[in-house]
Amino acid sequence: MSRPMLLAAALAGAVTMTSPFAYAASDADIQALRAELQAMKQAYEDKIDRLESRIADMEESKAGQSAMGNQSAAPSGPAAAVPSVGDNSMNPSLGVIFNGRYGNYTESESEIAGFAIGHEGERPDEGLRIDETEMNFKASVDDKFLGSATIAFAEHEGETEVEVEEAYVQTTSLPGGVVARAGRFFVPLGYLNELHAHADDFADRPLPNRVFLDRSYGDDGVGISWVLPTDFYSEIGAGGFRGRGFPAEGGDGGDIGAWNAYARTGGDIGDEISWRLGISTLQTRGIDRAGNEDSVLFEGDSDLYALDGRWVWAPGGNNREREVILQGEYFLRDEDGAYEDVDAGTGFVAYDETQSGWYVQGVYKFDPQWRVGARYSALSSADAPAGLAGSALDDDGHNPWTASGMVDWSNSEFSRLRVQYNREELAGEQEDNQLLIQYIMSIGAHGAHPF
Amino acid sequence: MRYSILAFFFLVAFPVQAQAKVNIFACEPEWGALAQEIGGEAVDVYTASTAAQNVHFLRAKPGLLSAMRQADLVFCNGAALEAGWLPVLLQKAGGPDVQPGKPGHLLAADHVKKLDVPARIDRSMGDVHPDGNPHILLNPRNIGIIAEALADRLKTIDAANRQNYDNRLNSFLRRWKPLTDEWERLGASLRGMKVVVYHTNWAYLINWLALESTATLEPKPGIPPTASHLKAVLTAVEGHDVKAILVAPFENPEAAEWLAGKSGIPVIRLPYTVGGSDKAGDLEGLFSETIRLLREASP
Repeated sequence: MSRPMLLAAALAGAVTMTSPFAYAASDADIQALRAELQAMKQAYEDKIDRLESRIADMEESKAGQSAMGNQSAAPSGPAAAVPSVGDNSMNPSLGVIFNGRYGNYTESESEIAGFAIGHEGERPDEGLRIDETEMNFKASVDDKFLGSATIAFAEHEGETEVEVEEAYVQTTSLPGGVVARAGRFFVPLGYLNELHAHADDFADRPLPNRVFLDRSYGDDGVGISWVLPTDFYSEIGAGGFRGRGFPAEGGDGGDIGAWNAYARTGGDIGDEISWRLGISTLQTRGIDRAGNEDSVLFEGDSDLYALDGRWVWAPGGNNREREVILQGEYFLRDEDGAYEDVDAGTGFVAYDETQSGWYVQGVYKFDPQWRVGARYSALSSADAPAGLAGSALDDDGHNPWTASGMVDWSNSEFSRLRVQYNREELAGEQEDNQLLIQYIMSIGAHGAHPF
Repeated sequence: MRYSILAFFFLVAFPVQAQAKVNIFACEPEWGALAQEIGGEAVDVYTASTAAQNVHFLRAKPGLLSAMRQADLVFCNGAALEAGWLPVLLQKAGGPDVQPGKPGHLLAADHVKKLDVPARIDRSMGDVHPDGNPHILLNPRNIGIIAEALADRLKTIDAANRQNYDNRLNSFLRRWKPLTDEWERLGASLRGMKVVVYHTNWAYLINWLALESTATLEPKPGIPPTASHLKAVLTAVEGHDVKAILVAPFENPEAAEWLAGKSGIPVIRLPYTVGGSDKAGDLEGLFSETIRLLREASP
């Protein structure tokens, strides 16, 4: 039908436009033009064929005469659903995570020899408690930014606390693998610090995270990360923060109270193994930083360095069925300033020492629903200066350690029950056997987690 | 008009030389294979998963981050299949042109009509996807529609190679249409064949060939088989002339084998996607092999 007309039009176009060059046209040029014409003709014919077959398909399915039940293939196009324009159509993705537990300890004391720790790093209360209820809101702000807020409700000493765990905006439109972020967020330091507690493989954080980072260090500030254009994964980043909480704390906000920088690399070995290594630092300044329930004060520089590694193996790469995860972090803290143990009446004593801590853990998923894990974590404090002898900073020759074992069961991706046993010897003659039973469940948006 | 014709001829005659290839990040093997079919020499395809992996549970692995960093086109399944890891990759390493809504972000499931779109949704129904069943690949007619959508995107992203994409799309469809007709002709004898499946990821195959799904080994989508549920399945299938239990390469065969042992219904390991068996090395092999294995089970 219209095919000859199209052809004629194409020919006419070709003739009018080639005429200025006709004088110089060689045989080769003519050949080339012929070939192009042929290509055009072919393209049009293909297009028409496709349109005809599409019409035929549509007529076929309309008449309901299709031999096979191929309704799903009706070319409906992307606009299958007409978007509703209600007030709620722009709601962010919303998820709520319930994290509750029962804890039983055989030891009443939970001092950590040689360390003064923050409020969140302490051993949680015994008994039944809703540990933390987290609400997360997340959505694109526009074509250049996205926003995410995580609000946690927690009980502490009979009071309900509402904590803004994270509230940040970040760019989605910078080229070259660069992301800039502003607001409150968990500082990229080591591996675990950036995770929300519900994503942990154990019911509690390992010792170094409790002692050096007050469980997890989040702060108000700005950060930038850059995934480098290498064939293997490598990323560097840095940030400046207010210095809002332990291990910074006390800054009046007039200055940058904390700095952070990190470098990470990683890759896949075949389809089955993935690994990641990182090195990072958090440089803070404490001004009247209170630890051990306000009984120990610190003033000075507190610089933390971390090495982290993670190795994941899944047979055939299919981690739905089975998986082994090995993970470890090593921390070194250099503190230069002065400590005062108020309870021991030491007064401020100059302190320039290095402390360290580490943990290693392994988790084995042996069934789509079942996992077992083991973890060991330990701390090493410095020799306390003479003026702090007998204070909380004096470890009395004891290096704190914890050994843990856990089993968890996940009915679906959205629910998990866990039983964990800890043996904690955090100070001399302080032998604590701990039983933790925990549930973690999420409703709402399907969460996504980093590696 | 004259100028546009002139411009057209110049484009054809003097294609921009030394154009870098388009880097395609394909989430699943089937979309990786299709990208290679339509892109040919003009593209480099990175496939994020294999046929042995249950792609819903993939992690945002370091290797995927570095591949995402290079991507000019993200070509994934969509309908929340990659909800647990693709957003992390996009936010961490994805460039501005591959973010959702941009031409460099193509989700196959957005272009076809989906089955099992729930009228009401609640997780007590299991891991059901609000956008409908995401496992759209096992209907060759869907593949044809998605091939066209892919070629359109490639032409937008890489205008200099428009002709290449058009040519390759046309030659693919010229081959695909008669193949589809042939599979449907061979598949006609399978109409009404009763099968048991592990998960609802066979819905599009069942719908296309008008098979009949008698039972699902998972009690709810995403929840592994339980002993009590399997017993109920056994009662439901006995004496109903069920021809096969369909299992994908990444699905644990234990439950299927238990049922096979009790009921005598054979387990068929279908390739499910490209690379799922030796003979399913490409899209054509995937469907030919699927039809062949089904016909073997239902002579």
